[in-house]
Amino acid sequence: MQQLLNTALGGLTLGMVYAAFALALVLIWRSTRVVNFAQAPMAMVTTFIALVIVDAGHSYWLAFAAALASGLVLGAVVERVVIRPVEGGPEINAVILTLGLFIVLHALAAVVFGNRYRSFPAPFGVRGIEVGGTTIALTGFGIFTILAVLATMGLLLLLFQRTDIGLRMRASAFNPEVARLLGVRVGRMLTLGWALASLVGSLAGLLIAGGSLVHPGYMDSVVVYGFVAAVLGGLDSPFGAVVGGLLLGLALSFVSGYVGSQLVALAALVILMLVLVLRPGGLFAQTAARRV
Amino acid sequence: MRRRLHRSATLVAAATAGALLLGACGAGGRDDDGGDGDGGGGDGGGASAPGVTEDSIKIGAHFPLTGVAAPGYSEIPTGAKAYFDYVNAQGGIYGRQIEYVVRDDGYNPTNTSSVTNELVLEEEIFAMVGGLGTPTHSAVVDFLNDEGVPDFFVSSGSLQWGDDPSAYPYTFGWQTDYEIEGKIIGQYVAENMPDAKVGLFLQDDDFGDDAEKGVRQFLDDQVVAAERYTSGNTDVGPQIAKLQASGADMVLSFNTPSYTALSQLVALKLGYEPQWFYTNVGSDADLVGSLLSRFSEGAVEGGSSSLDGVLTTEYIPGVDQPDDPWVQLWQKVWDEHGEKGELTNYRVYGMSHAYAFVQALQAAGEDLTRDGIVEAMEEIGADLEGPQLAPFRYSGDSHLGISGMRIVEIKDGAGEDLTPVLVTDIGDAEITEDDSGQDGDAPPESGVPEAP
Repeated sequence: MQQLLNTALGGLTLGMVYAAFALALVLIWRSTRVVNFAQAPMAMVTTFIALVIVDAGHSYWLAFAAALASGLVLGAVVERVVIRPVEGGPEINAVILTLGLFIVLHALAAVVFGNRYRSFPAPFGVRGIEVGGTTIALTGFGIFTILAVLATMGLLLLLFQRTDIGLRMRASAFNPEVARLLGVRVGRMLTLGWALASLVGSLAGLLIAGGSLVHPGYMDSVVVYGFVAAVLGGLDSPFGAVVGGLLLGLALSFVSGYVGSQLVALAALVILMLVLVLRPGGLFAQTAARRV
Repeated sequence: MRRRLHRSATLVAAATAGALLLGACGAGGRDDDGGDGDGGGGDGGGASAPGVTEDSIKIGAHFPLTGVAAPGYSEIPTGAKAYFDYVNAQGGIYGRQIEYVVRDDGYNPTNTSSVTNELVLEEEIFAMVGGLGTPTHSAVVDFLNDEGVPDFFVSSGSLQWGDDPSAYPYTFGWQTDYEIEGKIIGQYVAENMPDAKVGLFLQDDDFGDDAEKGVRQFLDDQVVAAERYTSGNTDVGPQIAKLQASGADMVLSFNTPSYTALSQLVALKLGYEPQWFYTNVGSDADLVGSLLSRFSEGAVEGGSSSLDGVLTTEYIPGVDQPDDPWVQLWQKVWDEHGEKGELTNYRVYGMSHAYAFVQALQAAGEDLTRDGIVEAMEEIGADLEGPQLAPFRYSGDSHLGISGMRIVEIKDGAGEDLTPVLVTDIGDAEITEDDSGQDGDAPPESGVPEAP
């Protein structure tokens, strides 16, 4: 019983991180119609920036804010410098570019930050909470993770559905030509989309790093799982991304605990295939009618 | 212009000579005639094997200098290099200076293959010394043996390097293998903690499998759970939760240092406090301590005391024993020839196997050949004295390395002996107390082994 509970709680926190990452993918997809594979190393770079700041003796929260801010800037710079030149061409070009960026950032991080495991601090302690004499696998930092991701999802929903700027972002992504004719500054919207997505990605990076070990490849599995989570929920829906992340986190945690850890990656891919075959639009997608 | 022509002519001559030498070795097979007579071309003459000249011996190694396996492991070749430099400074071996070429394989078997090709075919090393890793070295062990390259002292405790010399005649293990480590740990727990409910936390490859085989010889009915983690997947929560649920109050862990840190973190999260017993491989108190040191709010004790109370094993003296004469030698070697940084247990490991390789070179004699060094090692390897606490098992029938270890409890970052040195062999061999006296010996005054 305790194992069931702890495995579920472990899956819940992990699922929230996948969800955060899936949110970043959804954000880029919604605002630019590109899937950004470089999301993971971008988040890794900003996490290392935070680590450098913590190492210099500053507080965790300063590092946290700096990482999010550098995520915002990094996203905007990547869009302007790397992605902009191929915009308007086939979307596959941009996707391939993000794959290239993946490798470049990895190599750079290894050179700049070193290629070894390092520990990353957590602001709330890494001991499980005690409930009635038994410890459950939920740490203060785990609760923070869950709240942070839920809040991010709420903000994104508000942004896309209740604000003018969200509408303009969706319009630029959906049909840049028409949007431009209607007076939307498409270029700016695209940059903003990338910047916000990168910020959310940085958050995911910080959440998965907290109280654990980091190295330049530590986000790599998350990019795969985050992608599966995003597809599971439908690439278009922030709510779907969170539900997808949770489902995936729980499923993988149970596979790891009750079947075998060597089957985790396989299980994720089986889930991906099932979703693509049975519900190609994802569990919560509403785009089927819009796509032509 | 003339000079350039001259240089290229020399190159051609050298290349031709090299090719002839290689050919002679290939054709000459296992006899001692490799390389004499036809060496009249470019280099020094008197060379009796690839990589060997009158005044130098070139050897190679593959190590993860970058990547996830690099912490700790990348320090091993720096230790080995310091010791070879020390020997060179004392005149080398039979007047030959040791040239040690290290290549980075990033713990990726594909890279291991390509860097080994480079070492053997382009660098023309005489021998591979200390190549690290089970999955990595598995990728090149066939190639090295097909080429007849001595493959000494693989830095891995897998059985495959030594349990069947007819399959890999040129390969030798060095460290205590995982199976006998499992046996020694298993017997200790069975005898001293007969009521413990034992959980196993295993790396999902040869490492965990060999160790489990050894442990279960003695503990089969005490084992309540065996959990495997996949190297690379850092979420070990579900595995530790399962061990906790099984009621195990003693966990025997066969894992790498990063996973020692991860398992400790997860145990904190779960409020799980069994007696931990980590393999020698995963128990470097300094390294694990540095990984655990910064978790906030004093949840984890920082530094080397973070593993206090944990049981582990040792088969060579380490930096926690500064009074050991071997460690004093290593300290001197490191001070004189080391790079930046402190002497660490990984550097001691590198120096220790470098010492054994120098012994092998001494034993092979002045007329150095690839087959000669293998034969010499089979002949006298079991009698060699060195930093290892128990003798090697080398013979015509076994190329397995150190035959035993002792069990220690970590206190303030140092190991406190719980047993004398125990020796055994794979399979059903009995575990006995070592009577070779190797754990009390000291290096020769010069720090360089004498020729037998």
